[in-house]
Amino acid sequence: MMEHAVPALSTPIQSSVLWLIPFLPFFGAILNGATGRWLRNNKLVDAIALGSMALSFLLVLSCFAQLLGAEAGNRSVNQTLWNWFELGGARVLGGVTVNTMKWAYKFDVLSGCMALLVTGVGFLIHLFSTGYMADERTRGEYYRFMAYLNLFVFSMLNLVLGANMVMMFLGWEGVGLCSYLLIGFYFDREYAAIAGKKAFVTNRIGDFGFMIGFFLIFMIYGSTDFDTLMGMTRTILARPEITLFGASHAPTWWFNLVGCCLFVGACGKSAQIPLYVWLPDAMAGPTPVSALIHAATMVTSGLYMITRMNFIYVNAPVALHVVLLIGALTAIVAASMGLAQYDIKKVLAYSTVSQLGFMFMGMGAGAFSAGMFHVFTHAFFKAALFLGSGSVIMACHHEQDMRNMGGLRKRMPWTFASMLVATIAIAGIFPFSGFFSKDEILWKVFEGWYHGGGYNGPTLNLVTWIMGMLAAFMTAFYMVRLMVMTFFGEYRGAGHDPHGLTVPSEVVHHAADDHGHDAHDAHGHDDHAAHGHDAHGHAAPAGHGDHGHGDGPTEVVWNMYVPVAILAALALVAGFLNIPHSLHWIGSSHFSEWIAPILYQTSAHHAHEAPPAIEYILMAVATLVWAPGAMYLAWRFYGADPTWSTPKAFVKRFPELFEWVNAKYYVDEFYEAAFIGPCKQLGAQLWAFDTWAVDGMVNGAARFTLMTSQALHWFDAKIIDGLVNLVAWLLQGVSSGFRTLQSGRVQNYAFVMFLGFLVFAFWKFLA
Amino acid sequence: MDHLLSSIGSHMFHLFGLLAVGGALAMIFSKNAVHSVVGFLFAMLSVAGCYLCLSAEFLAVAQLLVYAGGIVVLFLFVVMLVEMTKYKEKGLFQVQTPWAVGMVAVGVLGFVGVFWKAWFGASAVEPLTLRPDLAAGLNVATQNAQAVSRGLFAEYLLPFEILSVILLVALVGAVVLAKTERV
Amino acid sequence: MVSLNSVLLISFLLFSVGVAGVLIRRNVLIILMCVELMLNAANLNLIAFARHSGTVGGQAFALLVMGLAAAEVAIGLALVVALYRKKDSVQVDQINLLKG
Repeated sequence: MMEHAVPALSTPIQSSVLWLIPFLPFFGAILNGATGRWLRNNKLVDAIALGSMALSFLLVLSCFAQLLGAEAGNRSVNQTLWNWFELGGARVLGGVTVNTMKWAYKFDVLSGCMALLVTGVGFLIHLFSTGYMADERTRGEYYRFMAYLNLFVFSMLNLVLGANMVMMFLGWEGVGLCSYLLIGFYFDREYAAIAGKKAFVTNRIGDFGFMIGFFLIFMIYGSTDFDTLMGMTRTILARPEITLFGASHAPTWWFNLVGCCLFVGACGKSAQIPLYVWLPDAMAGPTPVSALIHAATMVTSGLYMITRMNFIYVNAPVALHVVLLIGALTAIVAASMGLAQYDIKKVLAYSTVSQLGFMFMGMGAGAFSAGMFHVFTHAFFKAALFLGSGSVIMACHHEQDMRNMGGLRKRMPWTFASMLVATIAIAGIFPFSGFFSKDEILWKVFEGWYHGGGYNGPTLNLVTWIMGMLAAFMTAFYMVRLMVMTFFGEYRGAGHDPHGLTVPSEVVHHAADDHGHDAHDAHGHDDHAAHGHDAHGHAAPAGHGDHGHGDGPTEVVWNMYVPVAILAALALVAGFLNIPHSLHWIGSSHFSEWIAPILYQTSAHHAHEAPPAIEYILMAVATLVWAPGAMYLAWRFYGADPTWSTPKAFVKRFPELFEWVNAKYYVDEFYEAAFIGPCKQLGAQLWAFDTWAVDGMVNGAARFTLMTSQALHWFDAKIIDGLVNLVAWLLQGVSSGFRTLQSGRVQNYAFVMFLGFLVFAFWKFLA
Repeated sequence: MDHLLSSIGSHMFHLFGLLAVGGALAMIFSKNAVHSVVGFLFAMLSVAGCYLCLSAEFLAVAQLLVYAGGIVVLFLFVVMLVEMTKYKEKGLFQVQTPWAVGMVAVGVLGFVGVFWKAWFGASAVEPLTLRPDLAAGLNVATQNAQAVSRGLFAEYLLPFEILSVILLVALVGAVVLAKTERV
Repeated sequence: MVSLNSVLLISFLLFSVGVAGVLIRRNVLIILMCVELMLNAANLNLIAFARHSGTVGGQAFALLVMGLAAAEVAIGLALVVALYRKKDSVQVDQINLLKG
């Protein structure tokens, strides 16, 4: 069912304060970055960072209020700041165009929601960081973290608020950079630096595809402004064929190409197959980073881009199929990987990748608003889960392996409650938000095959729907597994491990009397636990609870559990913003109607048919049977049986399978062998060439210069000086010859005079 | 007598002329300085004779008085003074002698050769001869002195007076120059 | 009558002998005498032209030249004497203080 659209926006609202929304965090970043080091005032850093975020959020609210007050056709607040650069004389499809790229912002129905999400969730995570980064506060690194976070928010806001593709690209690159900076925040640890590099390079590969798509759009349309692009699409499609670079194809072919190229960019940024490998490693960064960037905002930028470019995708069926397939594949593969992880953050990371796959499935099925809605609900519950896990990690003294946790339910009630709500939401239980978003996506995918009762839609839809259902099952399973392992049972960290489930902790233990000083090394293992088997020879877990923290983990400070609680509450209620049409008695699909103006209309509107019965059946199965079944299974395996005998038996029966899944199907190793290794070899060969040939040439040039200078020296000494000497010698000879004339003897003078007279006389007489 | 004079007269001049040239050659080619002075004297006397042939009697006598009587004597004085017989000269002739002789010969030959045709050729211009009306005036010996004195004291008085000043200057100068060092 | 041309020739010969003497001899006194000879040759020239033009100016001029020659001889010989006292020689090629 395609979305209903209204004609293009008629009169956008002009604003003069819109620029403050991204720039307030930017100023905060600059202030903190420039002055934080020598001011050393953490409270001031807090004030600047949180204050700028809060102000930005309030501004977003006020602009959103403006949008609410405007009519449906005029819901856009614009502001053009300056002309960024002039592009003179570009040859595009329509002829030669002279374009000016403007630095302009557009706060409309879609970007307004995204801005709300970024600033709101961003503010909560900033608040969380004030508590989480306690060690950095004492070590003077805190200002850098907050500056990077603010810079990230600035880039993300540029991305979502940008009024043209160039601004979006600016933000796109900016968030990639900030992601790198933040993942590698602990840059003195090698694996963190490597993870940052991996993220950046993988992003870059995606960006290449994005740029190709972006350039093609410019060549076809002759402009990069979104409003212009939306308006021109109909005329572009009306052309019989488009000729670019000597190739002539129908417009749809070109749109397919553009859509696939842009999707490559989205794969890189939103961690889809095959460019997802950076996201699990990105857990090397601090947990707030994982929450903000890799759950709520940056990874959703690919989805934002697809929704923004829906006018391309709606007319590019092949591209949509590609998106759907890749999304589904990613969802199921990542979910399977999440089953075998022990690090709490890694589980959540794979969960993120899997949920992103769901979102792309929604886009690929043409349900842009469903996909976008899942972006928002996922942001809430995933951020809550990440921040909650951050609280857990903090409380367990930077322990990340779930096998060493347990029984935290009573010790950390707020965190437990929030994470429980988020887990139920992600599983898709009615009426939590995940049900409304995820199950809507699955229904849309199924509907593509159902095709109004004929069951004769593309088989791809059926296959991907099955994959999606399996992934949903696995999602519920591993999330409950996580909850059970972490919060239920007995706390295994204090040496109380009757069933032998713990592993040697990777956390370096502090000396008994100075637990404050080795915080540096303690951080060193924030994310290492996937390889939890290699022993570092640290003190046994028994020693963990020996020193002065008293009786194990306790609830964290208020600025940490309050944001988690807020996010969990949002995860609970946000679903009611987009009730699908089939449940219209509960509420209406506010969100879909809200973003309808920016969606491109292609076919007639089917909205008022009666929903088919199969929809209700699938909905009921999903929320009453499928998801609870998975949750019950996880509870059986891990909760009811404290020894985890069933999973252990499974692992024992299929050890290679477990190894394979635990090692993430050796994808990283494959990439290393297939791409990175040859690149490094090429680099080594080029280095050898450089040393041998280029340096050889340089040395040869040096030698040549030496020889030339010696020749010149010879030339100078012999010839030039010789010439000078020759002149002197000539002069000397001539002058000594003339000197003999000055004999001092008068008779000689007389002789010469007579000679002269003779010459004169003869000349006169003979001439 | 006229005929004799005129016939001998023209040849007499050539004779005196050749004698003068001979005396001059003797002067420049003789080893002994005194012999040179004597040759000089001979040349002067011959030149006086030339003057006589040219009807310049006053000047001939003046020549004898001044040159042969005064200048030659002066030269002899100085020759004696420098006592050149005391030491051997390094050489009579200068280094450039061959060149000089050659050059002079070239000059003479060239000059004479250039003008021979003009002077003595068949188409030579008729030489100037004495204007008949003046010839009579100059024939009288007494009239030559008168003529000269007339010219000297009337027309050329200023040069004459200046010449006397010059002679005075020369006198003073000679005295000064020839003075010995000590006061 | 003596033709003018022969007088000119004789006077030229005398003059050239005088020049040759100046250029040839080392002795200052002989050089001076040759200078006098040249003056005499000039005198001869003057008188020849005086005779053949019938004027008396030439003869008066010749007289003046004669007087001048006498003055010049006086000075010249005084110089030679002074020079002899200084250098103890009258060789021209030893008077070369201006040698460059």
